[in-house]
Amino acid sequence: MSTTSTIVMPGERIAAIEELAKSKRVILGPGLRRLDDTVVASKAGPLRHKEPGTFWVDNYQRRYIPARGDLVLGIVRAKAGDLYRVDIGAADTASISYLAFEAATKKNRPDLNPGDLIYARVLNASADIEPELVCVNSVGKRGKLGVLAEGFFFKCSLNLGRMLLRENCPVLGALTRELPYEIAVGVNGRIWLKAHSLKETVALANAISALEQSGCAEIDKICGNLGDFLQT
Amino acid sequence: MPAKSKPRLSRGVLDMKFMQRTKDKVEKEADDEQSRALYSNEINQKMLNSTSNFMVESSYSICAGLIDGRLSFRGMNPELEILMEQELAEKQGRTRPEQPKEVSDQDMVKAYYANKAPTVSGSMSKKFNTKKDFKRKIGEDSENPHATRKQHFKKPRSDDD
Repeated sequence: MSTTSTIVMPGERIAAIEELAKSKRVILGPGLRRLDDTVVASKAGPLRHKEPGTFWVDNYQRRYIPARGDLVLGIVRAKAGDLYRVDIGAADTASISYLAFEAATKKNRPDLNPGDLIYARVLNASADIEPELVCVNSVGKRGKLGVLAEGFFFKCSLNLGRMLLRENCPVLGALTRELPYEIAVGVNGRIWLKAHSLKETVALANAISALEQSGCAEIDKICGNLGDFLQT
Repeated sequence: MPAKSKPRLSRGVLDMKFMQRTKDKVEKEADDEQSRALYSNEINQKMLNSTSNFMVESSYSICAGLIDGRLSFRGMNPELEILMEQELAEKQGRTRPEQPKEVSDQDMVKAYYANKAPTVSGSMSKKFNTKKDFKRKIGEDSENPHATRKQHFKKPRSDDD
């Protein structure tokens, strides 16, 4: 991922991508739209690029737009027959079938109550229907998904969530040096934390929230003194 | 008279028991024909044979190659850390360069043919052997008494471990 980026505005034509698309395959991520052969930005923010030909706009946003394959944190809101309604921070609540859990059968329902926190994968995302979640992988195993018990939950911007999830992001490593913890970061801008004591958990949450306004480039510098946030 | 009408099977024939599959096929064709006729004025030539270099991917996680967000450090959740380790090992296994071979390819070939490994070509050529060849082979083998002896399971010695 390149750190030098140009800021694009909605409606702006991006000639560089159009040029590239003449010779090879180009993947347009969120924030970019294609109108015949022209590429137009639909969000405001820095244009990101990943080799070989992936482009997207990394805009500041707090409202999650479901996309297939995303790993999200959701709060169970209600039980509706065979489904649970889950709030994932999107415009509409998501649904998860009671059968979409490991070892769940019609007889053996998962023990899920309103207010529970789950870490799930978005199975189905379309503008016209409500998103659907699952808590198992393709072979029916739980893997890393499922209910998150105890711990502390807070919301942040989608950018912060994504930044923490970059490969070789220094933040989580820097925090580990201070204390052991367990974390679940959803790309829907929701974070769940658990450490040995409540005090430690809150300190971690403060440290992560402190990164809210920092860009990708500055983050390496800030990580050096993350320990200071933990003290307060 | 219509210029070119496709021969059709009559309904009586299609209702016969052994024609069920053909009946399904004919029905599907008719359906396709109908839907094509319905949308033909909507679809233009460009829609049919345009090749685009653009792919649209709506997920940030796939575009930016984000990792799974469920992590545990320093033994907070051992079950999860085992999963993380496995994933890491799998990833490294994919990126790691080829491991050095203990047996070189040439040695392997030598050993393979020295042991007269059962190959397809061997078993095929056996098919075309004449009886004369077979007898000669038996004769050769009988010179060597070790080869004819049937192999039996040998009990391991107790101090062999």
